[in-house]
Amino acid sequence: MGQPKALLPFAGEPLIVHLVRRLEQLFTDTVVVAAPEQELPALPSAIVRDDVAYQGPVGGIYYGLNAAREEICFVTSCDAPFLNPRLIAFLMAQITDYDVVVPFTDERYQPLHAVYRKSVAPLLKTQLERNELRPIFLYDKVRTRKISENEMLPLDPDGLSFLNMNSPEDYQAAQARWSAASIPVTVELFGVAQLLAKTKEVALTLAPDGTLAQVFQQLAELHPVLLGRVIDADGNHLVSGYACNLNGLAFVKDFRTQVQPGDKIFILSADAGG
Amino acid sequence: MHGFHGQLLHIDLTSGKSSWREIEESRLRAYLGGIGLGTSLLYEYAPPGVDPFAPENPLIFASAPLVGTGLTTTAKFAVVTKSPLTGFIADSLSSSHFALELKRIGVDALVITGKAAVPAYILINNDQVEIRNAEALRGKSPNETESTIRAELNLPALRVAAIGQAGENLVRFATISNEGRQAGRGGVGAVMGSKSLKAIALCGAREISVADPAAVDAIANRLRRQSLGSLTDKYRSIGTVANLAVFNRLGTLPTQNFQQSTFDDAEALSGESLTVNNFSRRHGCAACTIQCERLFKALNGEEQRLEYETLFALGPLCGINDPQVVLQAAQLCDLYGLDTISTGGTLSWAMECSEKGLLPEATELRFGAADALLAAIPLIAQRIGVGARLAEGSRRAALALGYGSDYWAMHVKGLELPGYEPRSLKTMALGLAVSPRGACHNRSGAYEADFSGEVDRLKSDSGRGAIVAASEDFAAVLDSMIVCKFLRKCFNDFYLEGAELVSKVTGWDCSSDELKRIGERIHNLKKLFNQREGWRAQDDWLPERLLQETLPTGVAQGVGLSPDELRGMIASYYQARGWDENGLISAKKLEELGLPDA
Repeated sequence: MGQPKALLPFAGEPLIVHLVRRLEQLFTDTVVVAAPEQELPALPSAIVRDDVAYQGPVGGIYYGLNAAREEICFVTSCDAPFLNPRLIAFLMAQITDYDVVVPFTDERYQPLHAVYRKSVAPLLKTQLERNELRPIFLYDKVRTRKISENEMLPLDPDGLSFLNMNSPEDYQAAQARWSAASIPVTVELFGVAQLLAKTKEVALTLAPDGTLAQVFQQLAELHPVLLGRVIDADGNHLVSGYACNLNGLAFVKDFRTQVQPGDKIFILSADAGG
Repeated sequence: MHGFHGQLLHIDLTSGKSSWREIEESRLRAYLGGIGLGTSLLYEYAPPGVDPFAPENPLIFASAPLVGTGLTTTAKFAVVTKSPLTGFIADSLSSSHFALELKRIGVDALVITGKAAVPAYILINNDQVEIRNAEALRGKSPNETESTIRAELNLPALRVAAIGQAGENLVRFATISNEGRQAGRGGVGAVMGSKSLKAIALCGAREISVADPAAVDAIANRLRRQSLGSLTDKYRSIGTVANLAVFNRLGTLPTQNFQQSTFDDAEALSGESLTVNNFSRRHGCAACTIQCERLFKALNGEEQRLEYETLFALGPLCGINDPQVVLQAAQLCDLYGLDTISTGGTLSWAMECSEKGLLPEATELRFGAADALLAAIPLIAQRIGVGARLAEGSRRAALALGYGSDYWAMHVKGLELPGYEPRSLKTMALGLAVSPRGACHNRSGAYEADFSGEVDRLKSDSGRGAIVAASEDFAAVLDSMIVCKFLRKCFNDFYLEGAELVSKVTGWDCSSDELKRIGERIHNLKKLFNQREGWRAQDDWLPERLLQETLPTGVAQGVGLSPDELRGMIASYYQARGWDENGLISAKKLEELGLPDA
């Protein structure tokens, strides 16, 4: 590929940044596991380095779980640009009586798009000590929920979640696919937001399954003056006193609401009195 | 007694006599102050069926328990009388230093009856009441009246409320003005004019005590902090004029006499544009941390206060797209003492009549005709030419003109509609239809449900009755404590915190349930007054245009409101209120609320 995958430009930013941003829609904490000397851009994540390089997925999963603060963790590789929040939320919801939730597609497990309990970390450590570098050894030892393609079909009909980039051709194809599937939306700013940003409209391009949270994040990046005053410091919400309306019709409070191509998103005062 | 003085001052202008009377604590606890106390006194003092312009119609100025306590946004007072526009209750609020001075003269209410033999003004200096000749004030604007009286009396703390020419000439939508603010709706200024009363000047030194000063201070500090946060950002940063662009985009901006709900030139009139191009100064009422008032630069070099309702009524409603024309028109309304909403509403009716060729005495009145608009306002205030017709308000003017022009007279019970399009705000539609004072956006905040996503604002359902009733009761409590509605979102649990506030001020052990019940009682008493004055079920209705035409533009294009939809919502409202199916308060409800037998 000519450079580390994590740093490949994708959707206008390094691929690792792109991934972390999408994960932030679902998770409050993210952990990035990197090789000892690997260069990384600034990230809002905890960074851990492999003690021993080249231990494959088991090593990455182990070091990540070890550093995680949450009991339930979603694990992904850094070259899966089409992470699907709806599918990930579904996988997370299946963990109740299991230790691992892992998709099974194309006749194989997808260990790097799976959910793990932090409690399996000691077993992974033992595997590393025995040089058992295939995650499947773990699945035989713990309560594993295997997710079939049929279960995932409604949430990810094209299976884009498992699309990795292992060659320059894969990379180019992924970029083209991303551009074609991206969602153009327009944000219309009213009142204080308009005066602060000094503009009435902002055109944005969102990820294929873009949500209002992404709208607010992108808007805050383009107009940081809105952070704290109109958009909450976390970048995901509007502060109290502000409201969001879709296309002049529906007032929407859930920032996980998905937007559609061509949507007009109004940001206005929540108080219509006067 | 804490928070109240426990007495009222009754002045009879016919005899020139004044007397103080105790107000029983039980009445204050049942109705608090402000609109609640004013309504209670109106019910007692107004003879049933009284002509609003008769000397016997009482003009009541009511204070409230929170006034003078230092709590932000509470420097307000109520003016209550029988409205010459609607024939039902008129309950207006105004604010600032006059409110504080009303409390300082040592009364909870001022009841004025009778009619002075010659133009007069009242001076109340603590316990001294004097009815003074106001011949020299005749024709003066409220501001000139105030400055003349202040110069004449030389009392530094003096505060004045006055009427302009519109009030003197009994224009049915005349206001009472103080410090540039208005007791605006329902024609309270005309009732004052009917008593030949030009002004009231107050100067007092009575302090008010509160039961638990430390607790009140703590609550005041918390509310002050909250009032400076994001929940009031709109009011502090732009003011209510911010509504215009949003309403236009949401298809809720009444335009050209409610023929549309979007205005092509909204951009030029938007609060954002005004802020960038015309902003002069931010101002506010006494003891208020929000300071929502915006003064804009007019072409004549003067500053003019503008808020959304004035902007909508003298702008899009009349097809006016030049902010300077709106500012000039607002200046004229303030100069003469006219309610800007009813002025705009009545003029837009006249513009439509004129465009249909039905108003030969004013053919120049057309939507968007700036010069004609500006020329018509003084004519209304002075009742000259077409102004004499329009001074009666849109309902009476339409009935007098005929030609079916009542179809486009946009009022409820005679009060012109505010700037909220009912067809695309269905909860608000119900709120406007059933409001005791007529089409009013202040005695309920029914639009809040429409603008929150709590309901589908473009559709009606049977849940709206309960929403409107709750909103009315909430407003009644706010208007009687009194707390400005712009502070309402700064409470986490209003009834809980409001009850605590009332308790700490008065020393009563007031619960949130009691406070809710007070709101319900006040609202029912307003309705009871209207019933006594001849309310009929058809008075709770909307103008026919809204029920026959769908919206032609904007995001709500094609949306209408059928009579059946409105009828269904009204039925749900009567049910939620516990009234009978004809909208009359049941004997059971009267008893439950401790109200007099109808």
